[in-house]
Amino acid sequence: MIGIIKGLIVTMKHILQIGNRKTVTVQYPYERMKVAPRFRGRHAVDEDACIGCGICETNCPNSTIQIVKYGTRWFPEFNLGMCLFCGLCVDACPMNALKMTGEYELADYSRESLIYGPERILFKKEVSK
Amino acid sequence: MITNPNAYDLIVAILNAIGVYNIILGFFQEQGMEYLLRIVIVLVEIAVVLVFVLLTVMFLSWFERKMFAVVQSRYGPMVTGPRGLFQPIADGIKLLGKEDIIPATADRWIFTIAPYIVFVSVLLVYIPLPFGESLILSDLRVGLLYIIAISAITPISILLAGWASNNKYSLMGAIRAVAQDISYTIPLAITAIAVVVFVGSLSTVDIVNAQQGYWFWIIPKWFIFLQPLGFILLLIACIAEMGRIPFDFQESEQELVAGFFTEYSGMKFAMFFLAEYAHMFAVSGIIVTIFLGGWTGPAIPIIPIQITSLIYFMIKTYAVIFFACWLRDTVPRVRIDQLLHLGWKIMIPLALLNLLVAAFVVTAGVI
Amino acid sequence: METETLLLNMGPVHPSTHGVLRFKLRMDGEIIRDCQIVIGYLHRGTEKIGEMKTYLQFIPYTDRLDYIAAMPNNYAYVKAVEELAGVEVPQRAEYIRVLVMELNRIVNHLVFMGSLLLDLGASTMIMYGFRERENALQLYESLCGARMTFNYIRPGGVREDLPDGFIPKLNEFIKDMEKRIVDYEELVNGNEIFLMRMKNIGVISAEEAINYGMTGPSLRGSGVDYDIRKLEPYSIYQDLDFKACMRREGDSYARYLVRVEEIRESLHILKQIVDKLPEGKTINQRYNFAPNTGAPSAVTSYFPRIFTPTEGEVYSRIEAPKGELGFFVASDGTTKPYRVKIRSPSFCNLVALPKMVVGLKIPDLIAAFGTIDIVLGDVDR
Repeated sequence: MIGIIKGLIVTMKHILQIGNRKTVTVQYPYERMKVAPRFRGRHAVDEDACIGCGICETNCPNSTIQIVKYGTRWFPEFNLGMCLFCGLCVDACPMNALKMTGEYELADYSRESLIYGPERILFKKEVSK
Repeated sequence: MITNPNAYDLIVAILNAIGVYNIILGFFQEQGMEYLLRIVIVLVEIAVVLVFVLLTVMFLSWFERKMFAVVQSRYGPMVTGPRGLFQPIADGIKLLGKEDIIPATADRWIFTIAPYIVFVSVLLVYIPLPFGESLILSDLRVGLLYIIAISAITPISILLAGWASNNKYSLMGAIRAVAQDISYTIPLAITAIAVVVFVGSLSTVDIVNAQQGYWFWIIPKWFIFLQPLGFILLLIACIAEMGRIPFDFQESEQELVAGFFTEYSGMKFAMFFLAEYAHMFAVSGIIVTIFLGGWTGPAIPIIPIQITSLIYFMIKTYAVIFFACWLRDTVPRVRIDQLLHLGWKIMIPLALLNLLVAAFVVTAGVI
Repeated sequence: METETLLLNMGPVHPSTHGVLRFKLRMDGEIIRDCQIVIGYLHRGTEKIGEMKTYLQFIPYTDRLDYIAAMPNNYAYVKAVEELAGVEVPQRAEYIRVLVMELNRIVNHLVFMGSLLLDLGASTMIMYGFRERENALQLYESLCGARMTFNYIRPGGVREDLPDGFIPKLNEFIKDMEKRIVDYEELVNGNEIFLMRMKNIGVISAEEAINYGMTGPSLRGSGVDYDIRKLEPYSIYQDLDFKACMRREGDSYARYLVRVEEIRESLHILKQIVDKLPEGKTINQRYNFAPNTGAPSAVTSYFPRIFTPTEGEVYSRIEAPKGELGFFVASDGTTKPYRVKIRSPSFCNLVALPKMVVGLKIPDLIAAFGTIDIVLGDVDR
């Protein structure tokens, strides 16, 4: 009986929110938690730095990356349906052109739409003068 | 024989007060169909109780979820309505839209009818439940016996549901539910009898009336102070009767998936759901009626006693429900054999002891 | 009266089998007469994948073995590879490795407590456990960018150094945990219903437990003082002050208490590491497995990334939160391992379950199973 009463007191403390026992969850679609700067989400490729060498392609454990022609140059294309988000491509990039953004809401309706071509992942780094 | 006023008398009194009763009565007498008026009034009563039960179930399911969430440092439903208050309506609409599946190997007829038997048997408990001064559907002179008898229908329908599903989990859940209900109806009945010994009547209204007044101008004359042991026994038995953690063997989600309603979906599942919460309210109401003074409380001038008594009853009932939810949030489930052990070897002897003491006290004329 | 036993298939889709495990139970009413475990529903051929990927590429796959506590998996594989190739590791990297692994032990045991209580029907504890786990996961997120599948430990060190503000946040976490653990103990440990469900349930003697190959907290609950951190100190464990928690009873409650005690010990270890954490490099510069953070002009210094250990084979084991985790790696001198074999603690501990539960009831099966603490990704591999 004493043990149960002790437990009841603990839960009552939570009901009354005594002593740092506040609600911790967030109302997800309306408010989001901040992701860490190192968060490994969707990839982004620096348009100016990428040389299309394909080192990311060889380093990818799951054949996620393919080098495709985009305009006049070659860029990686990511099939995020297969991606492990391990970050080995980022580690391997010799030009430091790849990075992973904090974007994590990647669910989609078809497999095809999970293939992120250069048109969706390229970004231009702002050059400080 | 003196009958206590019930809701029928109340409706007649209200109609009289606004001066329309005689006009209506005259109208029906002209047609020579006086009995029709009685039927209409009774139908109105039934409609009011049904609406009340549905609203209570909605509120209770919201209340329980919300409380569960607060205990666990969560928000719970927040989107539908203010603080998610309309979530039960959304749930109901969703359940209505679900496909009504009957397994191929199930006994179709019994499978279909079982949820409705459960729901009706729970609704019948509301007949002798005194919500307030003269707010009672019918003051049966055997009210308490009637409640215990009607409660005994529920396990049969649960067994029907579990058997008809033709699923091993359902069958085991049903067997457990029946074993549990039988072993806890007995201490429940015996502790209730201990109160009846004091009151000298099985009528629920008489039990409440016997608890009016105060000892030493402070302590209300509730039976909880006369029989604390009886109260604890009844509380445990009633929580077992409700089938809630720590005694939720009919479902025991982690062991038997969903117990006897594993195969149910859609509206039939909703019926079980309704029955569960309606039962929870009814059982809490019974605890309040027997031990916590029912609708008694200090009278407030100006406001009619019917309203104040209803409020007192609601407050007390929700206090009991709060305790049940609070307990559910805290403790794990006991094992089925430990439950039966507790029921037969501990609670029944204690209940008999309680009855013996009560009988002795009454016979000796101490109170 | 003639009666029949009932064949009950529990799982692979069942609320309390912790994934896709299947029990084939022969029931006499509520009593279990025979229990067979059917596994393989989550088999992904991880060992074979290991033979087809390079040494570095296989690390993210080890995250997917025991996904509740992935850091020890990372480390066990990397440790095997390091022993194979004779890689030296900077001291700071070793400290960071032990830090993240002990943090992961806390995370694992929090999930264990929560899911055990959930299996018993008390659904509050899991939310409390996950609330604290969330803080730890945020630490991981700030450290390596992922919350569960870390891919953090590399041959020769760790992927990245601790980020700014990591240590203060960790101290906060330790302080918070020390308060919360009192809450847990009041909520759970003394609860009479909990004791009724746990004591003398799923008893296994020390001898039997050893014969079945149980390891980790499940074995220590039976009174065998077997902790690889003590027996074969790896990394920096010989410099740390901690004790291997042990109970003699061998029942479910003992296994539960051992894990609660281990949370305390891990917090103690974390505090020591915070005090002792040396400065320095976090990765051996010969092996550039850390991300390229320099300017793109420094291209040449980042080649080659190919890693070829000399021919040979090695078995290396560590004390993962669930038990002894061993990796056997054989190299034929190419860029890929010739063979990878994983000795996973969940698989070996699970085997002892039928021994514990025959003659008990279904609720006891759930309780005993919960205290063995397995993850199906680790069982099926």
